[in-house]
Amino acid sequence: MASVELQNIEKHYAGYHALRDINLTIEDGEFAVMVGPSGCGKSTLLKTIAGLESISSGRLLIKNRDVTAEEPGDRGIAMVFQSYALYPHMTVAENMGFGLRMAKRPKAEIETAVTRAAAILRLEEQLDKRPRQLSGGQRQRVAIGRAITRSPDVFLFDEPLSNLDAALRTQMRVELSTLHARLGATMIYVTHDQVEAMTMASRIVVLNKGQIEQVGAPLVLYNNPVNRFVAGFLGAPRMNFVEGIVRTADGRGAVIECAGGMSVAFSDLASPVHAGDHVTVGIRPEKLRIDNIRSGTTFPAEVRLIEHLGRETIVYADAGSLSTSNSDSGTGAFTIQIGDIVPFRPGAPLVLGFDVHDAYLFSTDGRTVSAPKTVTGL
Amino acid sequence: MYPRPIPATAPARRGLYIGLVSLVLLLWLLPLFTVMVTSLRSFEEVMAGNYWGWPKSFNLIENYTAVFTQTAMAHYFVNSLVITLPSVVGVLVLSTLTGYVLSRHRFPGANLIFALFVGGNFLPAQIMMIPVRDLMVELGLYDTYAALIIFHVAFQTGFATLFMRNFIAALPDELFQAARSEGASPGQTLVHVVLPLVRPALAALAILTFTFVWNDYFWAIVLTQSDAVKPVTAGLSNLRGEYVSAWNLVSAATVIVAVPPVLMFFLMQRHFIAGLTVGAVKG
Repeated sequence: MASVELQNIEKHYAGYHALRDINLTIEDGEFAVMVGPSGCGKSTLLKTIAGLESISSGRLLIKNRDVTAEEPGDRGIAMVFQSYALYPHMTVAENMGFGLRMAKRPKAEIETAVTRAAAILRLEEQLDKRPRQLSGGQRQRVAIGRAITRSPDVFLFDEPLSNLDAALRTQMRVELSTLHARLGATMIYVTHDQVEAMTMASRIVVLNKGQIEQVGAPLVLYNNPVNRFVAGFLGAPRMNFVEGIVRTADGRGAVIECAGGMSVAFSDLASPVHAGDHVTVGIRPEKLRIDNIRSGTTFPAEVRLIEHLGRETIVYADAGSLSTSNSDSGTGAFTIQIGDIVPFRPGAPLVLGFDVHDAYLFSTDGRTVSAPKTVTGL
Repeated sequence: MYPRPIPATAPARRGLYIGLVSLVLLLWLLPLFTVMVTSLRSFEEVMAGNYWGWPKSFNLIENYTAVFTQTAMAHYFVNSLVITLPSVVGVLVLSTLTGYVLSRHRFPGANLIFALFVGGNFLPAQIMMIPVRDLMVELGLYDTYAALIIFHVAFQTGFATLFMRNFIAALPDELFQAARSEGASPGQTLVHVVLPLVRPALAALAILTFTFVWNDYFWAIVLTQSDAVKPVTAGLSNLRGEYVSAWNLVSAATVIVAVPPVLMFFLMQRHFIAGLTVGAVKG
């Protein structure tokens, strides 16, 4: 049974095309995470599902029922907001029971629902407090509790963790995953944080400029991105992109020449490229090696900056005219992630290298034409 | 930051500052003080021309009792309450409703309606003296409580709407989205979410409206004629005799008339709670 079904959804604001032909089915009990850069339409899409924003055309089905024209309160959804949106003049218990009170449910039923939600979220002690007396994490739990009491078919989360500090965010991430397992409800979660997406989602929906780029399990998207955008968006630190030109191409294989005379030979392409095409070679920071034996493709570079994280080291290195267009440092420097402590200082010369089997190739229009074969589907 | 404190090492400037402040305070408070002192004097003393000197006798109880026994002030007082209280309630109710709708609901013509409410404030009310009086006569309301109540509600609601609209518009959007997604109707949202949060605004508005309506003299004499419905402001001028006025009683009555707005302020003060929305959004 499909829980949420979006059919050809379009949304126009005054002169602005916010959502373009969105088709998506979210199965019952799924934890779907929508990610994308700011302004990609992910929050708009969530508000459309909630009914807080109207849609310009298309259909929305929840539990196989067309709810396109229904009020948010009648859709069987509950929404958790980034800013918590608690009613400041009500106690925690009153906040959590608000929806049921508005629906004029009997007092006993409201109390049972509130007690149950409070127990799940460990808020029993806070029921008589007001939101201003709570910490950020507790407020967010109240907001989630408010959603639970209504026993909705679908939970909608709009960047619920982005106002919390890093430690609390990690903890709430685990709590939300646990909650999902426990309630077995359908959850749709919007975030710009790809770590949240990778860790919590049963399926990730990557959005860009109001369109769905790719839908799939986290590791499928990580290993087999359909295009350059998805490849560059998922993964932290981000994938290095090197622009190049196809020098020779023969059906299944191609030789790419990049700046500084580096050439990379791909074989077994998913779709053909042609000589003269402008293409992009992608290589993840953890697959880039600091190479002394000069195997595979190598090129000289110089350390610009080094970040020691303890169990791993991030090195940013400049490679002359060879530069990456997706750099975390925003400078064109390559990002190298090493699972070890390395003793470099800024200015030190390096030789960087990678194996062509670990590299991605994206065509002129950004489609993935070659991806590493090692891991597939999970 | 102004005003900057004047250092103790500059005695001349300090002296000048304190002198000027005292002068302004004196000018400001002298009439008020004189009215209060006059309300304690005897009729003979006022007739003898002792306006500024120390009172020869203190007639506090006599004068203030006389206001209620020898004049119709008690009756005017009741009239004022009958006119002011419903006006205040009417203004608060209407402006909360209009403010809520204009700040939270988009519909065609909303801006025009809002512009009319705001624009109406720029018209000097006096230019409508004759039309409003004629209208009330036509409606058969001239010289009734209703005439003043309707007029005051109609004319105060414009400003009050602007006030409430801006206050409600400043509440966090997410609260309204949350209420809506929880199935609260617009009416339920108004009662359960908006009203508790705009209490300070309503209290401030209540004081403003109360004071304005209570102190109104112009419309009181334009729209009423008989003593039966006259409010205190118009009644006060009735106390002046044709040939001689008991200024001590007029002063005492004036002091009494000034009490309700002050009382109103203290009553409403406990609703001025800063930061009522703390805890609603973010951390």
